[in-house]
Formats: sequence, C-alpha cells, structure tokens
Amino acid sequence: MEEIKSTIIQRIKTHFSDATEKEYPYNRVDFSVKKETIPAILFYLKDEMGFKHLSHISCIDWLEENEFEVVFIVWSPTDKIKVFVHTRVDRENPVMDNVDMIWRQANTYEREMREMFGIQFTGLEAPEEFLLEDWEGPPPMRRDFDTEAYATNTYWERPGREDAKDIRETIEKRSGEILPDFAKKYTR
Amino acid sequence: MREKATTLYIGPQHPGITGNMMVRVKVEGDTIVKATTEVGYLHRSFEKLIEKRNWLQSFTLLCRFCVPEPDPVEESYARAVELLEGREVPERAKYIRVLVLELARIASYLLWYGGQSASLGLYTIGQWSVGDRNYILDLFEELTGGRVYHMYIWPGGVRRDLPKGFENKVLKTMDYLEKRLDDYDDLMFDNTIFRKRTQGVGIIDKEKAVEWGVVGPPLRGCGIRSDIRIDDPYEVYNKLDFVVPVEEGGDIWARALVRRQEIRQSIRIIRQVLDNIPAGKYYNKIPNPQKWALPKGDAYTRTEAVRGEVGMYVVSDGGTHPRRAHFRGAAYVHAITLLENLLVGENISDIAAIMNSLGTCPPEIER
Repeated sequence: MEEIKSTIIQRIKTHFSDATEKEYPYNRVDFSVKKETIPAILFYLKDEMGFKHLSHISCIDWLEENEFEVVFIVWSPTDKIKVFVHTRVDRENPVMDNVDMIWRQANTYEREMREMFGIQFTGLEAPEEFLLEDWEGPPPMRRDFDTEAYATNTYWERPGREDAKDIRETIEKRSGEILPDFAKKYTR
Repeated sequence: MREKATTLYIGPQHPGITGNMMVRVKVEGDTIVKATTEVGYLHRSFEKLIEKRNWLQSFTLLCRFCVPEPDPVEESYARAVELLEGREVPERAKYIRVLVLELARIASYLLWYGGQSASLGLYTIGQWSVGDRNYILDLFEELTGGRVYHMYIWPGGVRRDLPKGFENKVLKTMDYLEKRLDDYDDLMFDNTIFRKRTQGVGIIDKEKAVEWGVVGPPLRGCGIRSDIRIDDPYEVYNKLDFVVPVEEGGDIWARALVRRQEIRQSIRIIRQVLDNIPAGKYYNKIPNPQKWALPKGDAYTRTEAVRGEVGMYVVSDGGTHPRRAHFRGAAYVHAITLLENLLVGENISDIAAIMNSLGTCPPEIER
C-alpha cells in the first residue's frame, strides 16, 4: 500500500508542478492544485492511473479566507486507494472549469454547486434550476446566507392568521371553548 | 407517416420509487426517445441545518436522508466523526454496528421485493415481504426504540447494549426468513411474468459501468465484483466470511438475482456476528456535546448500502459544529445521469421497473 501511494505521489508531482501532497494513514492521498490544473489532473488520474470511479465532489465555503474549496474524491478499483484533489476558488469571482466530459455524473454535482454556492462552471450545459424553484435569493449554502432573516423578509403569514400567533388562544376566542389548565401552560 | 413525439410526465408520485421525483419522457409510440429527471420536491436543506447543530445533534436529520435504509448514513457520519477525532470504538460496538447494518440491509431488500414486483403488477409479493420486514422492525424496536428511524449508531460506539435474549430472537427471525425466501423464489423468480418483463430490459453497458458511476447491486449485475465491505473494509467486515454475488447481463433480472443472493449472505453475516461478538464495552464516552470541538480537518467515509455506495464527507474547522457535512448517495448518480441514458429506447411500461431496479431514492438526491 505504502509503495503504491509513493508511486502515485511521485507520478503526480512530476506531471503537475503545482501539486502539493499530504499523506494520510491507510488508503488516502491528498493533493492540492491550482484550479486551472483540475481538468488535466483528473484526466490523468482517470486515464493513466486507473482512478476510474468518481466517488464524490464537494464544496466548502471558507468565508474567513474569502475562498471556496472544491474537493474531488476519486477511487481506484484496482489499487484500492482514494485520492482527494483539493482546489481553491476565489469567492468574489467563483469561476472554474467544467469536468463533466471526464465523468458525466460530475454534471449533477456541478449543477448543485452552481445553485447552492454560486460557482460558475465554464461550458456547463444543464438546465439552470436543479433543486430550487424560482429562487431569487443568494446561493443558500454560502456561510453568509442568513436562513432566518431570509425567511422573515421573503415569506409572509397567511391572511387571517394575524391574530392567530398561538392557535390555542384563537380557539378560545373564536369558539368560546375554555381551555384546560395544562394547555394554557404553554400559551405564550 | 412518421409519428409525432409526445411528452409525458411520469411522477412525482408513482410506483417506481420511494419519494417524489419526476421523469419527463418524450415518447414516439410507446418507445422513449428522451428522458429528463426533474427533482426539487423533497429538498429540506439538511446539510445547512447540520451546520447549525453540534456534532451530535445532527443524528435526527441523518436518518431521514433515506427512509428505507437509514442506518448506513448514520454509520458513515459516526465513522467520519471518529476519524476526525481519532476516537477508538470498542470491538463489541463494531460487531453490533455490523449486526444493525445487515438487519437494515435485509429489511430494505424485503421492501425492494415489494417495490420491484409491484412495478410489474405483481402485488402479492409486496404484501408478504412488507409483513416479513415487520419482524425485523420488531427487532429494531426492541434494540433501538424506533422501528424505522433508529439514531442508534453514534460517535464512540452504539447507544445501548443488546437487550437480554436479543441474540436468540435474531437467530429465530433469521431461521424463519431463510425458509421464507424459498417462497419468494417460487412467487417471484419462477414467475414467467417477472422473467419476461425483466430479462433484457434496462441493460447497463459493462465496459462503461464504473466510469458512469454505477455502484452496488447494479454494478454487480454487470459482472463486476465490487463491494465496499471487501474493497475498502470498515467496522469488522474484514473478519467475516461472506461472498459477494455477481451476475452477468446487466439487466433488471441480473440485478434482482444479485439482491436475491445478498439477502442470504446477510443472514450468513448475522449468524457469524452473533457467534463471534465479544463481551465488553459498547460505547466510549464522548465529552459534553455542547463543548465538544473536533480538530481541524476533513474525513470521507463510504458504506455499502443496498442502493450502492453511500458516503459522508465531513469537514471541521476546529469548532463545536460541523463546517460541512456533505452526503453522497448512490441515487444521486443512478437516478439522474444513468437513468436518463438508460431509459432511451425502452418502453413506457418499463420505467417503474427500471427505476426500482436502480434503487432510486429521491430524498438522498435532494437532502
């Protein structure tokens, strides 16, 4: 296992000068590269080194560093090793290359990242909407998206419910029914 | 004269899947020429909610990622948290986890028996298998307190030890199920309708299967021996003796045969677990969850569920809350890019059967 891992690191470092590696125990190897290198390194991993299976693509919003981190996790069915490829994308201008020509299922992950984080993938051909319908707010999975403030400002109470902040009081008022004591305990 | 293509909307409610998802198909006659998956009926933003909770509170959400089989999600998250912290899990807890995962696998396959046959109009099988699944849910109720959602596997081990006499109850249920499976063979696999409707339908290309992201029983139905329990072993699967069944053909029939054999392998695993389970602690206590901060880093864990590979990517920024917990479901790939390509050229009446054979589970697509 350790031999295969060091071969992988060596081959990647000779082909991609900007790749920095980080070793983990057992069957995991991590590389960090510039975002421009992503399609090339993924092509190389898949076609030359047997990492045929795309296991996952994830995105993390590092708000304090003003960057998004995009992680590609690939798995080699022959060597039984998983490789993580990390890259950073500027938060102000989040644009990176589309990789769905390498694995077509990457298309779905990219659609979700475009919608949830606002990352634009150049050349991505897919319908604009994925999970959210008629969404006009900022991308909701960003760390600075305030869920509660957005809900308060965007949605409104159903007409007729203005007086009905607490349903128990409304029942009492409208029907004249007297509430038992245990129910009153929870009344605001 | 050429027939004009018509657009049909299959879903969001239909017998092919558990949950809400629509497939928009363009048909000429009754042959599909284009299929597009439309999701968005079930998005509950679990991953955003998890970021607002501490490391332990997210378990109430995790089990709702996929209703028919929630335990692999809990297990992969718990294991990712343990990896991040470097926390050891007692040996007994690992065995109990395998027991729970395999019971959940059988329960989920029994539900699949019902779904797969009902999608072809054979309703009796579903009545039987859901009834038999209840015996496993009874076991879960006794072990965890919940029938469907368990929240039982958590960081550091499992929540409770096995109740007194539980092993015997499990063994009795397994003996019953093993005999019962022959009845299912008579009713389902020897059934001419089932054979004719599944053989040669929904064929996945073996050469392309790995690249296309096919995992689990659909991949093994293409003749490729791939199982995370063997390839990337977790818990105590490397100490257990079981076979990964493989079938050639890549059609619905091959996938069904793989699942049929896997139930028997799960029963075999459960018997081994009960024979070899060591005594001792079942839980390594975690600190006060309100103040429990994990070291900075990331972890990705994968678990073999009935739908295929499920995974959890967890990132910590050194705080008491997850920075990100991103779930990877098998259906995320199966039900969108794979299904859209697989349906082209098939008959409208086979849509539900194909979707079911891929293990489509919309809640894990949208989360």
